[in-house]
Amino acid sequence: MAQMATVMIQEARARVTVGIFTQMPDVAATAPDRESAAAALEFLGEMSPDLRGAAILGPEGEVLAASEGEPERWREDAAALFAAADGAEETAVEQVHIATEQGEVFAIRNAGLAAVAVTDRFALASLLLFDMRSMLRELADPAKGGD
Amino acid sequence: MTPPKPHRILLDRVSVYADEAAAFMRRRRISRRPFARLYYPHGRSADHAEDSRSGAELFVSAGRLIEVAGKKQKG
Repeated sequence: MAQMATVMIQEARARVTVGIFTQMPDVAATAPDRESAAAALEFLGEMSPDLRGAAILGPEGEVLAASEGEPERWREDAAALFAAADGAEETAVEQVHIATEQGEVFAIRNAGLAAVAVTDRFALASLLLFDMRSMLRELADPAKGGD
Repeated sequence: MTPPKPHRILLDRVSVYADEAAAFMRRRRISRRPFARLYYPHGRSADHAEDSRSGAELFVSAGRLIEVAGKKQKG
């Protein structure tokens, strides 16, 4: 079963990875600088005590900032998650929330950017998603700022 | 028979609330099974069962991200 699922996810990755980030609204025509993204990610970590790790992805799916770990892995696995999510109903998703025994995963697209976050179990989902959305909106357009 | 002292009533009430909260948390942990929920524009959402094809893909992807994030490092 695990092997079959792995094959399926590899198929999904190959099928949709290239195009998934082009489905995001083109608000952030130019990606925010990595320094701002890193600062935003650090702030998210301060606001969310349950957060284990997170990454912010630019319009092309590139990693602008990521918690400890390999940025390339964050990019690949976030792309695979969005590919699987979009493939579920052949429609671009706005948010993803997956709760497992090992932890919870959140993903969101907003303003041409995307973010993924991994938390402990039973994190406050709506609060975290709100913070992630505000973070992306502010990064995409610093003049407007968050909510 | 003398009535209970006011501060005893207050303490009892607080402990009842604490018991209720603890029971709520226990029920929440037991009832909250793994799930995969997708949200679409205009507020629509859809759950995907773990044993469905789409659900399996989502859980595998989530598992990889959890692996990348690693364990919590805050003290």
